[in-house]
Amino acid sequence: MRRAWLDRHHRPGGHRSIGLTVVAVLVSAVVLVPIVFLVVQAVQVGWAELRHLLFRHLTAVLVWNTVSLVVVVTAICAVIGTLAAWFVERTDVPGRRWFAVLVVIPLGIPDFVVSFGWRAIFPSIGGFWAAVLIMSLAVYPLVFLPVAASLRSADSAQEEVARSLGLGRIRTFWTVTVGQARVAILGGAILVGLVVLAEFGAFEILGYQTLTTEIYNEFQVGFNEPAACALSLILVFLGALLLASEDVVRGRGRTARLGAGAAQAAKRISLGRARPAALAGLALLVVLALGVPVGAIIYLIVHGGHSTLPPASLWIATGNTFAYAAAAGVVATIAALPIALLSVRFARPGVLALERVNMLVLAVPGLVVALSLTYLTEHFLQGRFYLTDPLLVLCYSIMFFPLAIVAVRAAIARAPAGLEEVGRSLGVHRHAVTWRVTVPLVAPGLAAAFALVFLETATELTATLVLHPTNVETLATQFWAYQANLSYSQAAPYALVMVLIAAVPGYVLGRWFDRQPERRAAQANVAPGSVQPALVAA
Amino acid sequence: MRSLAINGVTKSFGQQSVLQGVDLVVPDGSFTAILGASGSGKTTLLRIVAGFERPDRGEVWLGDELVDDAGSRYMPCERRRIGYVPQEGALFPHLSVGRNVGFGLSRHDARRTRVDELLEMVGLGGYRRRYPHQLSGGQQQRVALARALAIEPEVVLLDEPFSSLDAALRASVRSDVLAVLRQAGTTSVLVTHDQDEALSMADQVAVLRDGVVAQLDTPAGLYGHPGDAGVAQFLGEANLIEGEIRDGIATTILGRLPVGSWSGPSGPARVMVRPEQIELGEVGEGIDGIVDSYEYYGHDAIVCVRLERMGVPEPGIPELVVRITGGQPLVPGLRVGLSVRGPVVAWPAGPGGAENSPE
Repeated sequence: MRRAWLDRHHRPGGHRSIGLTVVAVLVSAVVLVPIVFLVVQAVQVGWAELRHLLFRHLTAVLVWNTVSLVVVVTAICAVIGTLAAWFVERTDVPGRRWFAVLVVIPLGIPDFVVSFGWRAIFPSIGGFWAAVLIMSLAVYPLVFLPVAASLRSADSAQEEVARSLGLGRIRTFWTVTVGQARVAILGGAILVGLVVLAEFGAFEILGYQTLTTEIYNEFQVGFNEPAACALSLILVFLGALLLASEDVVRGRGRTARLGAGAAQAAKRISLGRARPAALAGLALLVVLALGVPVGAIIYLIVHGGHSTLPPASLWIATGNTFAYAAAAGVVATIAALPIALLSVRFARPGVLALERVNMLVLAVPGLVVALSLTYLTEHFLQGRFYLTDPLLVLCYSIMFFPLAIVAVRAAIARAPAGLEEVGRSLGVHRHAVTWRVTVPLVAPGLAAAFALVFLETATELTATLVLHPTNVETLATQFWAYQANLSYSQAAPYALVMVLIAAVPGYVLGRWFDRQPERRAAQANVAPGSVQPALVAA
Repeated sequence: MRSLAINGVTKSFGQQSVLQGVDLVVPDGSFTAILGASGSGKTTLLRIVAGFERPDRGEVWLGDELVDDAGSRYMPCERRRIGYVPQEGALFPHLSVGRNVGFGLSRHDARRTRVDELLEMVGLGGYRRRYPHQLSGGQQQRVALARALAIEPEVVLLDEPFSSLDAALRASVRSDVLAVLRQAGTTSVLVTHDQDEALSMADQVAVLRDGVVAQLDTPAGLYGHPGDAGVAQFLGEANLIEGEIRDGIATTILGRLPVGSWSGPSGPARVMVRPEQIELGEVGEGIDGIVDSYEYYGHDAIVCVRLERMGVPEPGIPELVVRITGGQPLVPGLRVGLSVRGPVVAWPAGPGGAENSPE
């Protein structure tokens, strides 16, 4: 009997991480496939041809179109997002609770749907400034969300100290308030830049040519792979530049509070006579970003002149979209587990480097991931898997892998190893502790990770157009086919379903991420903030 | 209840050697404190006893049962019946207080009544339905204790359980916990870096330094007869002065002082005088000194005094720290007379032997 508990092979701690590391490295290798094959392809094309393709007038025009758009949209989003966040979080603007909701929803509306809505109402809209307007309206929440979270958690005592040191109201705003939110603003701005770089549908609808639209056309229409590869290299280079700039601009200063003691809840500033103007500004933002696209879609459906019954293909497409999104959500969440577990439980320099390597995917637009996977299947797998479900799901999983890692890591951080130890010391077996402690703590976060990938996948257009199996249509591909034929009223129902899928649950999810940490911060040591700052901080 | 014995336990993490042969016996039903500076390996030792870590060498015995021999014998932590109260409590955040306490109880164990009993014992009757985030730090700590006691453990391990509490709360939670543990009669081991906590709670205190137990004694024995100057300084304030020992009397700058126990040869020695052993009187009574600073704490006061001879500060003598009971403030510059009360502790003056502080 005495020997019953003897366990020769069990050693607590340490050694368990080896198997995990092997799996994590394998997953990372798969995730890096697009980057690797982009390079392989470039080598096969050869330097002479690449140089010919890179140093031509068209490339210069495309780079100029893309970079100028990224710069202007990023700047505008930083201003709109920060101001809106400040009004909603720190002033007594009327209806701020409603605005806190309404201002975020446009993030869930696919950019190409926003573009479509504006185009439907103003058919002549196009060119650089139209692209600026539409992208700014579609993605400013990427700045708003992290800045609002940071303003909410910032210590207003710092502002009071600044005032007591003789700084005026406006200087205090600039030096302390904006200073506190600096990391959040920059993080959001970099995400905006990455989204604009990768955007295809919105610009195609507006007839504005960027690197991404040209890559798509070279590849899908012109079948010119070398040209698509050369332009992809530039695009990935620009993305990597943005990603790297995050480290540089963040600087060394800490923006959090130093020292113990409870942070003082932020006080709201009374706007006085400026209240109507602030209200009008926020209302205008909501009308332009939410009212116009949603209104246009509903108008098209109601006055489209077609049967009000939704076509059967709408249900089929919705089913396909759900199936792909669910598959990608499951695959990405499970694949993220080993890396997230390592980085939370066994944080070592090597592990953190592995995690960072996976974040490189953020710099690779979905179109490039799709092209690279196409190249891989054509040249190394004799065309097997090309235009199949597994390859499309793999493509989605790779594209949204960084998102999954961030969410899964936050989930695992909620169940520190210490809790499992305590559970076992109470005489409960390891597996029972996993079931009673770890699973309940981690499950909501894993569900959130799944939902994030699901929502992103459901509204993905570009990679879907490149890789979807020939006879399988999704909401995005059907929408695209109709709008390309200028059958706007037929495209509208598909857009509406995408908006409903993405915007409503997306908003709920955002609030969930935002609130979770506050409730359990003491136990789980999760930094407060929404998904976006966490994503950039990674 | 069972005793706990640790024999020659060593542990390193990579290149870093944390424990270098720890021997410790914790008698059945006693309360032992392991006192050490941060990084001295005390938490690692506790985790080895609990079964969360395994030693590189050495043995851990629970009563007459060998639970870990650093080789093939290893009893998993869930079978040791060791109650563990970690830093910050580590309550399960998704479970109510009642479910936290009942976590280790099987369903047959009349969970409900047992849980209520335990919560009553730690003074939290009626908190069964609350959640951990609704409790204060002290309450969380007491729930963690109730949870550990629920399984009727042989030994309770407390890992700096009071360090996250603020000073006012700490004293009351400390005495509550002590009362509960005494009532339960379990063998208890407390790990702490706070000497007041160790001295006030424990039956015996083990000073952990450089990965070994530097001294094991009762609180009074440890404070009154520290094994070396380092231990002396770690356990409260100590004035260390040079002296010459002959026939049990140390001749020092503070006069001829009787040495409590001296087994070494006659010759130069290092002499320790506790601040409360020094009395201040009028000038001319004893050794002359001049007040340098005065810090008032209510229950007592700390006075720093410089020795002087013929109105000139004595060279090479550090300031003496004196503890007096409150009373009149002493202004800096005031001349006083110093005398030493009771026997002092001395160690042979050896090379390097003195500055061996645990910090």
